[in-house]
Amino acid sequence: MAVYKRRYNSYTGSLTPEWSRFFVLTRYAFADLFKSRSFVLLLILSIIPCLFFAGYIFIANNKTVQLLMQLRSADLFTVESQYFMIILTVQNQAAFLLNCWVGPVLISGDLTNGALPLFLSRPFTRTGYVLGKLAVLGLLLSVVTWVPCLLLFSLQSGLASNGWLWSHLWMIVPIVLCSAIWILMLSLISLAVSAWVKLRIVATGVIFITFFIPAGFGEMFNAIMGTYWGRLLNFSYMFRLIVASGFRDRSGLLGSLGLEEIPVPAAWGALISVCLLSLVILNARLRARETVRG
Amino acid sequence: MTNPTIELDGLEVQLGNRTILHGLTGVLKSRAIGLLGPNGAGKSTLINTLLGFHTPSKGSARMLGLDSHTSGKALRSLVGYMPENDAFISKMSGVRFVRYMAEISGLPPDQAMERAHEAFVYVGLGEARYRPVGTYSLGMKQLAKLAQAIAHGPKVLILDEPTNGMDPPARKRLIELIREIREASDICLLLSSHLLRDVEETCDEVLILRNGKIASICNLVEERRANRKFLELETLGAEATFTSSLESLGCECAVFSNGRIKVVMPDSVEIREVFKVAADRGVQIRRMNHRRDSLEDIFLNAMEQTGAADGRL
Repeated sequence: MAVYKRRYNSYTGSLTPEWSRFFVLTRYAFADLFKSRSFVLLLILSIIPCLFFAGYIFIANNKTVQLLMQLRSADLFTVESQYFMIILTVQNQAAFLLNCWVGPVLISGDLTNGALPLFLSRPFTRTGYVLGKLAVLGLLLSVVTWVPCLLLFSLQSGLASNGWLWSHLWMIVPIVLCSAIWILMLSLISLAVSAWVKLRIVATGVIFITFFIPAGFGEMFNAIMGTYWGRLLNFSYMFRLIVASGFRDRSGLLGSLGLEEIPVPAAWGALISVCLLSLVILNARLRARETVRG
Repeated sequence: MTNPTIELDGLEVQLGNRTILHGLTGVLKSRAIGLLGPNGAGKSTLINTLLGFHTPSKGSARMLGLDSHTSGKALRSLVGYMPENDAFISKMSGVRFVRYMAEISGLPPDQAMERAHEAFVYVGLGEARYRPVGTYSLGMKQLAKLAQAIAHGPKVLILDEPTNGMDPPARKRLIELIREIREASDICLLLSSHLLRDVEETCDEVLILRNGKIASICNLVEERRANRKFLELETLGAEATFTSSLESLGCECAVFSNGRIKVVMPDSVEIREVFKVAADRGVQIRRMNHRRDSLEDIFLNAMEQTGAADGRL
């Protein structure tokens, strides 16, 4: 089918491995995203706090700079688990905003003009489709959450005195695990919303609503029933609970937490349930369209 | 022995509580198969089932020997599909869209790019390939859908109402393309349409559906070969000697009032011989209608048949 021949020929060349084809979706989505200046700006803004955190770590570990800036070690917040808890919380909020910008367009663009049957009429499954889209958010949100967090952890390990790394190595687990559940939940929620709502602004609104309305209902439930279980509907609260428990924090640094009330496994359960619900929604929505007439 | 193109074995498909396809059974062996039927007959549902989009509630459907349900992925790796409805990503340029689809089918990026350009030029959209698909006219969108269906070089091309919304020249061009693709390779073609001409011009075998049941399976090649030629004449001054002369040529004649004669001609007799007999007998031929049994007749007969109610031939 060479252009100059203008004749149809079948393809006889090599094929890519089936397992890798979901990544085609990810690659194309990233190519589209990086064409948008707004996205690039938002991504840069999401990473900027890490530069301040890095600067603080540098100052906290450098006596010369402290002297030059006329700071006393006692005035500085020590770089311990609580510091990384703050970094993680800030970066995960940035991830939330980034997700609200990127997530809504990932699937709706394919559904608006019925492109989904074209994907599914190939040797490509719905699982592959969701994985491809999920990988976009997974990679992107990782870049602003646990990856910079681990880099800052490495920086602190390098600058701190001997032994700091080994005594704080356990923090890698909560950094990665807490980010993972937050990223997974955000990604699945925004993909589910993107599969239902075509307009970006509406979809972004729906994602915000998903986080705030159930929390409100939960508080109403608590007030009426005189219980605290309604907080399970407050996903941000559940996440903070998981972070605080992961970093063994009982100081209430992230606000008043009901660590004695809501069991941490229940918080995990709530977030995993949201992920499963989003998958159910995606499963219902991502089907090759069928028109039944008559 | 090669596998039949399509095998249906008691295929029943339900969507919700509604049965759309009722126990279809049949074997279609030709390389170019037309799927005919009025709106709501179940053509698109059958295509979607063959693609594995719907799970049969009973029976099975196979294409090139592969079961649509159990070997769906393997089957879809052989297929290029052009859906009936709009199917594109509006903000992507045409060539990027086709490249994207080819890569999903498994072509490496450089090969996909090359094939996308070739496919676009081949369908006649070379000049428009860098424009976003959303800005294309309806006819161009149809051609872009065809380009994405052929770019990865499928073994089976499934076209669902390919000429929908196209003006006559664009339709003619698309039909020519489909015939060209069919003749230039060993590709199998499944074309669904309610336009009889589209099917007649491109297919060798026809599956006619009605209310989710098979109304008829007809091999057009054999039908054309077996069909005898019919002439409908309106004459002035025709007497018995005219018809007997025609019969001596091997024709069968039926005489009606007002000089109307129906003549069934064997393949060996040409129309000019009828004119010659008329001239010899001094008969004026005022009007002549020459036609074969067309697909339209086959289709209408199938629609009128009541014996197909059990879904079998």
